[in-house]
Amino acid sequence: MTVLTSHLKLLEAESIHIFREAAAQFRTPVLLYSIGKDSTVLLHLARKAFWPAKLPFPLLHVNTTWKFRDMIAFRDRTVSEMGLDLISHTNHDGLARNINPFDQPPSVYTDIMKTQALRQALDAGGFDAAFGGARRDEEASRAKERVFSFRAGGHTWDPRLQRPEMWQLLNGRLGKDETVRVFPLSNWTEADVWRYITLENLDVVPLYFAKERPTVERDGQILMVDDERMPLIPGEVPQMRKIRFRTLGCYPLTAAIESEATDLDAVVAETLGARVSERAGRLIDHDQDGAMEMKKREGYF
Amino acid sequence: MNLAVLSENPSLQAEVQSKTTSEGMVRLLTCGSVDDGKSTLIGRLLWDAAGVTEDQRAAVMHASHARAVNGERIDFSLLLDGLVAEREQGITIDIAWRYFETERRRFVIIDSPGHEQYTRNMATGASHADVAILLVDARHGVKRQTRRHAAICNLVGIKKVLLAVNKMDQTDWSMERYRAIEADFRALAGNFEFDEITAIPVAALTGANVVARSVEMPWYEGPTLLHYLESVDPKTQAEDAPFRMPVQLVLRAANDFRGYAGTVTSGTIRVGDRVVDARSGLGATLQRISTMSGDLESASGGDAVTLVLDTDLDISRGAVLSETQRRPVNADVIEARLVWLSETPFDPEAGYLLRTATDLSPVTSMSVSAQVDFETLASTKAHDCGMNDIADCRILLGRSTSLDLFGDLPLTGNFVLVNAIDGATVAGGVITWVQKGAAAVDDNVLVLDRSRLSGLCADLGNSREDKAEYERRAQEVAILLRSAGVPVLIETD
Repeated sequence: MTVLTSHLKLLEAESIHIFREAAAQFRTPVLLYSIGKDSTVLLHLARKAFWPAKLPFPLLHVNTTWKFRDMIAFRDRTVSEMGLDLISHTNHDGLARNINPFDQPPSVYTDIMKTQALRQALDAGGFDAAFGGARRDEEASRAKERVFSFRAGGHTWDPRLQRPEMWQLLNGRLGKDETVRVFPLSNWTEADVWRYITLENLDVVPLYFAKERPTVERDGQILMVDDERMPLIPGEVPQMRKIRFRTLGCYPLTAAIESEATDLDAVVAETLGARVSERAGRLIDHDQDGAMEMKKREGYF
Repeated sequence: MNLAVLSENPSLQAEVQSKTTSEGMVRLLTCGSVDDGKSTLIGRLLWDAAGVTEDQRAAVMHASHARAVNGERIDFSLLLDGLVAEREQGITIDIAWRYFETERRRFVIIDSPGHEQYTRNMATGASHADVAILLVDARHGVKRQTRRHAAICNLVGIKKVLLAVNKMDQTDWSMERYRAIEADFRALAGNFEFDEITAIPVAALTGANVVARSVEMPWYEGPTLLHYLESVDPKTQAEDAPFRMPVQLVLRAANDFRGYAGTVTSGTIRVGDRVVDARSGLGATLQRISTMSGDLESASGGDAVTLVLDTDLDISRGAVLSETQRRPVNADVIEARLVWLSETPFDPEAGYLLRTATDLSPVTSMSVSAQVDFETLASTKAHDCGMNDIADCRILLGRSTSLDLFGDLPLTGNFVLVNAIDGATVAGGVITWVQKGAAAVDDNVLVLDRSRLSGLCADLGNSREDKAEYERRAQEVAILLRSAGVPVLIETD
């Protein structure tokens, strides 16, 4: 397997630089921790940026209550092992209205349980900056975003009015009501994330590795039956398939791939040879044309 | 053209992968006037060099049929233009970042908009690039916007330029046409400091000379676009460049750990070397280079590290640690060339801040002396500048800061100009001349010092935190006074 690694050092240094600039320029930053591989790398780089000092900001997890059980277990273990300060937020209003990924269209569910929940949590914490693990290679509208991505009051993003960002200079001076999303992994690709996890020997959620798991097939996509809340069609019986996930989110909205990759090397090899993009497995992105951009304009990460 | 022919070409991929490995990363900018085919060229490059996944291919083919802008052909620009407004209008508004790698190296492609109104986005893209691919439509030749983009590439420090003469299929693959445009461009490039100019005739739509060698232009014997990109040497700094590390943060931890965190912008430092804080002139010996993966013996340009010194220099964010011999200038008067990015034109009465590597200094006064004329590329006398203009200016700072000339050390010689009221980045510039201790103070300048601010800062003592707070308050007062037209100088202790 040929892997390029010399650029990982450059990417790591760039990300550390971004973390330090943001910590120096913003009053109350927070790190959006969504438990997946990108968050794992994000957290690792944050610790490197401030080591041996402690992280100068808390972690925030927006919990829709529909994450894979393995994800929550991994989150709790990580937080306790590293002695981190974690805020977990759920949109309780949405929960009370029984908003869920089965009864509502993905766009409605995502708006209420993720976008609105995130805005609630950011407002409640008075955070002026939030780090996120988004990468520009993920999706076309993300490819357009700055490292310091400014949001007007109400967390809205106007892609036509992005602040110029020249050289290594990051200007974090805020205007009235403005907040910022900070993306230290902007220039990383999916393959870089996996190479770096391998290089640094980082622990990730076991769902990234292939294993026999109970599944059903819906509209050509394989979904894992993670708990008893998954409604089955009359007569439908979950099938055991050897699957893994390229990206992790809410289990009813995250498609699995059939795979034999049971360790990091195999995952890296599979990623480098992949013929479809990573977000093909994210059901929320295909809901409508320009779906991700619409969500971002409204304040989604 | 038949879709099946375009969709997959195994021989091209085999050619790409047969190359020997040379590790590294090259950051490319594509620029040029609107409709010269930048997004299409890069889309084509990604398509042919295997940077496109199956679902992206399917989506682009589907959308191409729906829009049919190129008749039966695939619209490669759809791979880059990711915003809804861009797809609707068929133009590029903001830069798009794309990543792909061949066996030889890793590429970061920055596709920039050609429209004049989005020049500021192009400038953002250019500042991150090692190499610029400047496109020219073979039918129209060099345009005003081509010259503006070349001037911005030059300003931000790009040294290597590839002139891609595109749409050769529209000019009957004419060698004369290509040679004339190349000569035209080489003549105008005499105004700039490019080290290396390479010209290639291409047709993005058919793929001629992008990845595959063109059969229509046997008279051209130079490299294809991909060959050029795989062999070009990205900018590298001289090995013996003087050491600089702008301090981002002071990190404190258990066991009295105290380190200066930052990214080395140039040169190399080793444990045991002497370093100085350029502003105070105080020196210390480097005791440790600390990282989470273990201590290092040395650190060089690009490394993000934490330096532990043997004595406390009492410095904070904004200071520049330097080698003892070749130090930055502690400047309070600078001359610079900048590109204006804001829709609001330069206003000599407005409050501005100068953001350099890690420092933010109040601007006491600023004046424009000249502008670049994009027809002739000559500097002409001017006193104002507005969006997309390139201007020469003189800036007086409210307090001195450590700076280098951009031509010597780009990362400690560049800056952005910030509107003090709304925080907007209004210009990006490079330092061409500096002066220290210029005593910018004359009778009209109000000096803000401890005694003048004694009421406002009565609650502040001499601790590190209080000094920082004093400086913050002084700066805010200075901003208010300057926006009311009062020239101000801040005196720090």
